[in-house]
Parts: sequence; structure tokens; C-alpha cells
Amino acid sequence: MDRNKISKWLKNPGKMAHKYSFHVVYFCTGCGIIEIPPSITARWDAERFGIIPVATPRQANLFLITGYVSTKTLKAIIRTYEQMPDPKYTVALGSCPINGGMYYDSYNTITSLDKYIPVDGYIAGCMPRPEAIFIGVTHLWKLIDMDKADGYKRYREDYVHYRANQEQLFGELEWPPLFIKEIVK
Amino acid sequence: MASIIHKGNSKMTDLKQMLLSGFDDININIPEDNRMVVSTKKESVLSILIYLKKFGYNHFALVSCNDWIDDNEFELIYIVSAYQKNDEQYQDIEKSSIIVKTRISREKAKFITIIDIFENAEPYEREIHEMFGINFEGHPRLTPLMLERNYKIPPFRKDFDTNKYVENTFGKIPSIKERKEGNK
Amino acid sequence: MQISEFILSPLLALIIGIFFLGLARKIMARIHWRYGPPITQPVIDIIRMFSQKAISHGSIFNFGLIFSLTGSIVVILFLPIGKMCPLSSGGLLVILYLMLLAPLGIALSSGEAANPNSSIGVSRKFLLALGYEVPFLLILLAVMAHYHTISLIEIVRIQANTGWSFGSLPLVLSGIAYFLILPAILGMRPFEISGAAQEISSGPKVEFGGKFLAFSTIQHALHEFIGISLFVNLFLGGWDLFGILEPISNTIWGIILGIIIFLIKMVIIFIIELFINAVFPRFRIEQAMKYLWKWPTLLSFIGLLIVVLFN
Repeated sequence: MDRNKISKWLKNPGKMAHKYSFHVVYFCTGCGIIEIPPSITARWDAERFGIIPVATPRQANLFLITGYVSTKTLKAIIRTYEQMPDPKYTVALGSCPINGGMYYDSYNTITSLDKYIPVDGYIAGCMPRPEAIFIGVTHLWKLIDMDKADGYKRYREDYVHYRANQEQLFGELEWPPLFIKEIVK
Repeated sequence: MASIIHKGNSKMTDLKQMLLSGFDDININIPEDNRMVVSTKKESVLSILIYLKKFGYNHFALVSCNDWIDDNEFELIYIVSAYQKNDEQYQDIEKSSIIVKTRISREKAKFITIIDIFENAEPYEREIHEMFGINFEGHPRLTPLMLERNYKIPPFRKDFDTNKYVENTFGKIPSIKERKEGNK
Repeated sequence: MQISEFILSPLLALIIGIFFLGLARKIMARIHWRYGPPITQPVIDIIRMFSQKAISHGSIFNFGLIFSLTGSIVVILFLPIGKMCPLSSGGLLVILYLMLLAPLGIALSSGEAANPNSSIGVSRKFLLALGYEVPFLLILLAVMAHYHTISLIEIVRIQANTGWSFGSLPLVLSGIAYFLILPAILGMRPFEISGAAQEISSGPKVEFGGKFLAFSTIQHALHEFIGISLFVNLFLGGWDLFGILEPISNTIWGIILGIIIFLIKMVIIFIIELFINAVFPRFRIEQAMKYLWKWPTLLSFIGLLIVVLFN
């Protein structure tokens, strides 16, 4: 961890602060939520990395999607993701958001989460253990250092396509488009 | 009526005798202690359930459904059990449950609701209506319970092809890169 | 000297308040047998919050938060930190009035946020303030009647001559009553009612993001500072430690050592409050009101009677 390197802080304090203060939206869905309480309590302590769960998406900057995503949950995930302030990061746990996982032939779960909201990284496993979650967090630090964790920028630029995918899945959406200027009809 | 219950295995055989004498076109077997399986025609289900409820089997566990596509029939399965008797709990060795099975036709999939006998059957029948397409007449609220969209064939039926559905719905949605390249 | 005190006093309060936030998380973690974040973690959090682009719900949303932050900073100008006290006219009466500006500002912001969770949180915050204001007022009346003055600087100076208030016979009950309502003033468990994360999604802070959350955290840190420093000034002698600072009391070293002794007393009281915070669950608002209007009110009322009869 380079949390104690003062020169890096002075060069770009915002980026360093984003790395070492992840507030996670406590959006508990899917089977992977069983691995989150052990990660944040006393045995595998996540608070020493600065990770702490918060109750509302307005105060958060990391969105952990733990496990399979059914179509009903996807509506809630999109609305929660759009409420988080920029810059924000998304990490998907398990093999279900990658390619459908164990539920690849289910009538109700989606097969690839990246088509609907931008995902910065995946942590493979079914479910990944807390040690794997921490290794994933260190990889996310490296991505933030290299400026590659730009999911929120991609959402802003390609919002037309994300919205088109969401509307192709759900039909009519109840909420209006988020970035109206970019939609050119 | 509840005083007729004897403790031990003789209770089940007594009940079997009473049911065989009271209803016709009924088939009973006792696979193990404290379990009984009753198969009847669909017209007798309501009266058998009322009879069992008066007998002391007043806890309704669940109603479930099987899809016998080769016989062109649905099979409805009701499980009732008795584990409380006059504010005294039965001990484990005396708990018993009875399974009541019927068959209904697959083309005209409808049946009557048992909410008037057991009130807590309401969400189970709602789920069976949503997943199998069986219409329960008399049910006050047959709205979707868990699913978010309408399907042409109800998803738990055996002629619903899950792989084809996934290909047509989720597989046809392109990734963001493909959309951007398609636009250019 | 005067202008430097105006700048130095709130700055010192800010640094110490944020240090207390970090100390709270570290000590709670150690009580739970885990390592915990570094003590500078709130600084990292505040820098991160300032770099996020949050939305605002309107102009009253922005104004309410600035209003509460300003209220807290103004109260700090009236509190003596060690021997530094920029504004001294009005003393305890002004502090009593201005302490209610902070919840009022947060209420304005949450009203504009239009989230039912924030309305519930703000109503519980005001009910809790109503609960602890009654024994608080009786305690302040007892102290003011005992020392015949409303100025905090006078009270601290008299304690330097005659010993701590907590040890003098008429004011023991008032001191114990203040210690009993101190968790309610600070917003720590068992009275962490308005900021409850699990029950009402952080109450008034539910719609704060980005820079609003940063200001709200700073305001919370300053509010904790005010609660503890009032206790130390009124009952534990302020900057004095059994008169060892008498010979150097007017030099620069005297002032610096006075501030250090003051801060050490604050840290000890804060650690005791953290131990209570680690063990208790949260009260419901009706349980909190029933408690606050029973034993602390009774003790502070008897303390007031003793002070009046003693004289």
C-alpha cells in the first residue's frame, strides 16, 4: 500500500483519496452477500483498507454486485447506480455477471452485466472468499492508478447505447434518460 | 372428533379405514410411520380436506404442482399435517402428515381454490398460477408474485424451452462495443 | 493577538475534532479485536468527498448546511480552549442559544431533500434535543448560581483558585448529571438515534453526497468538540491542573501547556465515552426521552436545590 507516500498525495490527492476510502453501497442481493459480513467484521477486517458500508448510494463510491442478477433486481441496480455521484466504481463478484454462471439457462437472470451498466472488474469464484475480495480491491487500486477504472466515464459517453440495451430488455422504462443532451433522436 | 385420535401407529390405520369407507374412487397407502399418501379424483379433494381438517389435521403445509406432459395432465399435491392438539404439542414421534394428490387436465388448466378451508393457501396458489398457468376459481388476487414480465408459455411447464428463451431474449442484446461498431 | 485567536481557535477545534473521529474508529476497532483504519482516515474520507460531484436539491439545501456549520464555528469562538477565548461577552447564555443553530440548519437541508428517511431522522434529532435540553438547563443554572457569574472565563479562573467543580460538594450531583447526558449531546450510543445507519438510512444525511457530506462530517466533528469541551471547562477545571501552571501562567509557554492539559482532559473523557459507545445498543426515541427526563433531570434538580440552599 502506498498510503504513506506523501509525494504521491501532493501530486494528485483526489485519486489517492479515492483509492483508500471506498464506501460500499450496502446493496445486498444475490448469493454473494453471504461473503460480505465476514469481510467487514473482525476476522477479515476490511476497515483497515478504508472500506466501510454505507446505507445510501448518495454517500458511496463503490458498488459491489454480489452474484446473479435477475431482471427485477436489474431495475433496482440501474436506479441505484445512477444515483451515485461521480467518480464511482463497480466490481462484480462471482461468475454469474460474467456469463450467466450457474444460471446460464434461466428464464429470469441476465447473462452479462456489462451490457447494462459499466463494470470495472470481475472477481471470479462462486462465491469468492474474503481473501479473493481483498486481492480484487488491490487490483482495483492498480487500475485507478493507471486511470483505467473509467466505468463512469464510459457510462457518460456511451449512454445512448446503454439506454438502448436497457430498453431492449425491459420495454418501456419508468425513469427518463439520465443524460438528455447526448440522446439525439 | 379430535378425541378419536389414538396415539401411535394405529391412528393412521384407523384413519385409512374411515377414509376408505367414506369416499369412493380413492387410493391410500402408508409408506412409513406417520406418513400417508391419498390419491383421489379432483371432485373429492375439497371434501377430503374438510374431513381431514375436522379430524385434527389443521396445519396446511403447502400446495405444489407437477407437470406430467406425457399423460397430458397436471398433478396438484396438497400436504396437511397435525402437530398441535388442544394446546398440547404432539411429541415428534406423533407428528404426522398426509399428502393428497389429484390430477387435472392440461388443456383446460383450472381448479377451485381452497382458501375457504385453509386461508394460508393464497400465496401458494398465486405462485402456481404464475408459474404453471393454472387458474384457481374464487381466488381473490391472482396477480404476479415473483416474475417481472409476461411469458407466452408459463415458465415451469415442460414445453417451455429455457435455452431458446435465453438465446432470444438475453442473447440477442448486443454488447456496447458491438453497438458502437454497428453505428459506425 | 486578538485576530490570531479568531483564526487559531476554530482551526484547532477542527483539527482536534477530526482527530477525535479517527480516534473513535481506531479504538472501536481495537475493542472488536481487529486492526482498524489509520487514525488519519477521516482526512482521507473528507478529501475523497470533496472530489465527488454530488447533486444539490435546491438553494435551501445548500444554505441549511452552511448555516449549521457556521453555527458550530461561532459557538467555538465563545468557548475557552485552554486560556484562548476570542469572544467572551455573554458567556453561557449565548452558548446555550447558539448550540441550537446546528440542528436547525440540518433540519432545513433535510426538509428540502424530500426523503421520508431524512424527515424521520430530523424529527428524532429535535426530540432528542428537547430531551437533553431540560437537564442541561438545570445544570447550567446550578453552575451559574454557584459561581454568581455567566462568563465561562470567570468560572475557569475561579476553579484554578479553589479546585475543580466536580470535587466541590454542591456541584457533584450536577457533574454526574452532565456525565449522564453527555452521550446524548455527542450523538454516541446509546443515543445515536438521528444518525442511525441501519434503521433510517443515516437519517438527515441520506441525501448528502460529495461536498455536502464533507461539510456534514466537519460539522459533526465540531459538535462533538463543543460538547466535550463544555464539560471540561465547567467541571474539570479547563486548563488548570492543581495549580502547577501558576508560576508561568502569563507567558507563551503557559498558554501552550494550558492548551495541552485541556486537550489531554478532553481525550480522557472521549475515551470513556467510546467505551460506553462500544458496549451499548441504540435506544428508541421514546426510551431515550423517558430516561433523559427521569434520572438526569432529578439529579440536576436536586443539585440546583443544594446550590440554592447552600448559599
